[in-house]
Amino acid sequence: MSSQAAVFLGCSRSGVGCLVPSTWMDRRKCCVQLSVHPSRGLIDEKFNVQVQKFLPGCQLTVHALHRCEDRNSWEAFGHYMTDASGTVNVSQDTSVGGTYSGVEAMGLLWSLRPVPGSKPGLRLRKKNVQTPMEVTISVYQGHQTEGFVDQVPLASVLVERWYMAPGVRRIPVTEDGLTATLFLPAGPGPFPGVLDLWGAGGQLVEYRAALLASHGFASLALDYLTCKITMETGKMVDNQYFETAYRVLQQHPQVLSSRMAMLGFSFGTSFTFKMAVYSQVIKLRCAVCIGGSHVQPIDASVKEMFTYFNNNASKIRVNEKNEVIWRDVFQPTADPSIKVDMGRLQCPLLLVVGEDDQNWPASEAAKDMKEMMERAGNSHLLTILSYPKTGHLIEPPYTPHVRASIFRIFDTHQKLMLLWGGQTVEHSRAQEDAWKKILVFLRENLYGAANPSATLSSHL
Amino acid sequence: MLRAGLSVKTLWQLMEMKTKTCLKVHGRMADLQHAMGAFRWMSSVRPAPVLTAAPVRALIDEQISIKGRFLPPNSPITLCSRMHSEDGDLWEAFAHYNTDASGSFSLTSDRSVGGSYTGCEPMGLFWGLHPPPGSREGLRLRKRNVETPYTVHVSLLEGHISPSGGPITELAAVTTERSYMAPGVRRIDIRQNGIVGTLFLPPGPGPFPAMLDMWGMGGGLNEYRSALCASRGYASLSLAYFEHKDLPGPLRELNVGNEYFKSAFRLLQDHPQIVAERVGIVGLSFGVYLTLNLATQPGINPSCLICINGPMGRSHFLPGDKGEVKYWNYDERGYIAFRQISLPSNMAPEYKVKMEKINCPLMYIIGEDDLSSASTENADQIEEELRAAGKSHLFTRLSYPGAGHLIEPPYAPNARVTMWRIKPEKMVALFGGYDAPHAAAQEDAWRKILCFLESNLRG
Repeated sequence: MSSQAAVFLGCSRSGVGCLVPSTWMDRRKCCVQLSVHPSRGLIDEKFNVQVQKFLPGCQLTVHALHRCEDRNSWEAFGHYMTDASGTVNVSQDTSVGGTYSGVEAMGLLWSLRPVPGSKPGLRLRKKNVQTPMEVTISVYQGHQTEGFVDQVPLASVLVERWYMAPGVRRIPVTEDGLTATLFLPAGPGPFPGVLDLWGAGGQLVEYRAALLASHGFASLALDYLTCKITMETGKMVDNQYFETAYRVLQQHPQVLSSRMAMLGFSFGTSFTFKMAVYSQVIKLRCAVCIGGSHVQPIDASVKEMFTYFNNNASKIRVNEKNEVIWRDVFQPTADPSIKVDMGRLQCPLLLVVGEDDQNWPASEAAKDMKEMMERAGNSHLLTILSYPKTGHLIEPPYTPHVRASIFRIFDTHQKLMLLWGGQTVEHSRAQEDAWKKILVFLRENLYGAANPSATLSSHL
Repeated sequence: MLRAGLSVKTLWQLMEMKTKTCLKVHGRMADLQHAMGAFRWMSSVRPAPVLTAAPVRALIDEQISIKGRFLPPNSPITLCSRMHSEDGDLWEAFAHYNTDASGSFSLTSDRSVGGSYTGCEPMGLFWGLHPPPGSREGLRLRKRNVETPYTVHVSLLEGHISPSGGPITELAAVTTERSYMAPGVRRIDIRQNGIVGTLFLPPGPGPFPAMLDMWGMGGGLNEYRSALCASRGYASLSLAYFEHKDLPGPLRELNVGNEYFKSAFRLLQDHPQIVAERVGIVGLSFGVYLTLNLATQPGINPSCLICINGPMGRSHFLPGDKGEVKYWNYDERGYIAFRQISLPSNMAPEYKVKMEKINCPLMYIIGEDDLSSASTENADQIEEELRAAGKSHLFTRLSYPGAGHLIEPPYAPNARVTMWRIKPEKMVALFGGYDAPHAAAQEDAWRKILCFLESNLRG
């Protein structure tokens, strides 16, 4: 070895690494190329991460860092070996360690987790959808597992992930007492409309509606718990509030009034089931319900739903880690008076179920709904997507999975650690698969035939 | 489902066609029923047309793949692109296509049969942009603010129509954003050591190879090529040297000399995030002379040189100066071709760069229809002198028939004619080039420039 100082790269327990002079290393650094394509993509788009022009047969770590709106840092990383041409292609090569392993094109996003030293119970959610999520992708020598912030990477690029496609318009809606945001797709329209409901956390959560608009659906994100009316009067909204939201969306000049859907998540599914079946005003082409249950006192208002919840508080469990499990509260029983009569449903319904959902009994509810609909003869309307080892928070693709997180009760502001469930790998696959199928389902029902499942009749 | 663009008449015509065909072929009631039923099913399940562009947020030199689906099969459609420049001028392009048997089209594989361009041109809707008839003359599309994208609205229209600036009825539309700056590229104003310029650094810790970037006697500070270089991993300094308010002396004169350009080169070398031994120079038009001149200064050792459509020397006058009037050629509209002045035979001997002093690879790019600069002749002169010095291995020539003076980063519309000056009097310059070959030249040249930079600055 020459008298020049040498740098031992990629020292690992297995002893695999490359020995190079450090001056050569400096020159080499300006040759290493890291690219991510597309560098500006939608949140549900895949990207391709490539490292080129490094040494062959060397260990590298590809790292992702995201600083979210509440200033917490999230990171993910994969351990790779460069090939004979000094290249790593994340979409094709195998990660042998890190926060994800195997061939995972998008592992750098879905395996993001709070950096060591972070507060427990964090969850990654974008509030401002008009700016992109920025992720710094870097490559480090060797197989690193910690201390990334203290090291200088070989190369680094910035990637933008957008909820809103160019041309999508964001319009706050306050008419008729609503607290909502409308997202209109780019283009002339008119577009089918989707009413988008989140769960018991409240707030006006916009990102899924923004993403739906990026896919051609006029979408209205609706706050029904912490809305202006409730904050000012202390009274929760009645069921007419949802019908008002539907009507305002439907009557928008760029919305096709006969092509409307509802997409509900968690507590939002309660209102979706209810409206789809009972409302005289809301006439849906189709409905999507993620992680929810049809169990509720018949025609319950928001307030009555919470009363029901409180009356069943004894069913709430806490595990050994002090994580709160709510799944038993809305369990279906044989009692028909506390269930939406799914036999009366007249539109296609897509249920998305995480089999490890610890917050809502989505599996049991789906099974019960299927039985109700089979008895009533309308089960041809039902499609169930059921994912093993998948938890409650089935979000748009590549959203980092959290098994439990801090949840703030919307009115008392009390904080709990809620157990959502799910195992990261399976949960992430479920998010990707479910979203794809949700989009197909919405397109088929909202852009397609009037009644695709109706039998064709003779026209002559 | 009936969409706004599809008339009931068209559907009835299609229905009649199907009926006739069926009657002719089978002539039986049952078959007719089947045909009618099938038709009704088809018309009611076919979704609205969908127009997609990928990537929808792209870098300026990235190809965008535009596709349409769910249209009537084998039908005429028009694609129309529209944008407003920073000055508020409308630019538009359109092209006529026919959908295939499945009612789809794709600009990466289909041929335009009319409009702003013909043939298979995936990016024709961008390089084919023109101001509509009646716009101000001599407009040129150049981005001043590189921190924001070009927003181009692409519409899908029924039939083969010519939009021409008026209102259009879209079936579907998509908005694309095209940026010179990739995320994370840093833009830094440089006003130090008398240097006026803008430095662009790629994202990441570096260190990076770098390029000094110079334009022509249009003056000002053009940042976009530098920004794009940084997006491709090369730090780049766009340098102002003429007609910029922060430069010393009268605006209409060249007030900076060799020391100015040397300082700029050294600024790059001295930058902590730039590798001093990997700095090259790129120049277009008069910038070529500046590039070659700087490269031959003592103490300046660039790694590579890129010369686009410019002279290897100059006269006693500056290009565009009234002193050169006798060399100008006018066409029937009174537009000026500056070409003659840059012939090597018209150059002052003391201002011709001594090519034997060049010690690094040099790529010379020629637009053969360049009406502003005698590019071919200069390339010949450079090549001859390098050969005489035993350095012909350093020389690479790219020559593009039909391309004009302004060989810029890809997919920029060509300005065959451009408003050169408004004061003290209006002068319109001829730059040459025809849309399609110029666009092909820009795309090919940029690809080769990136390869050239890669081998010389990153090899």
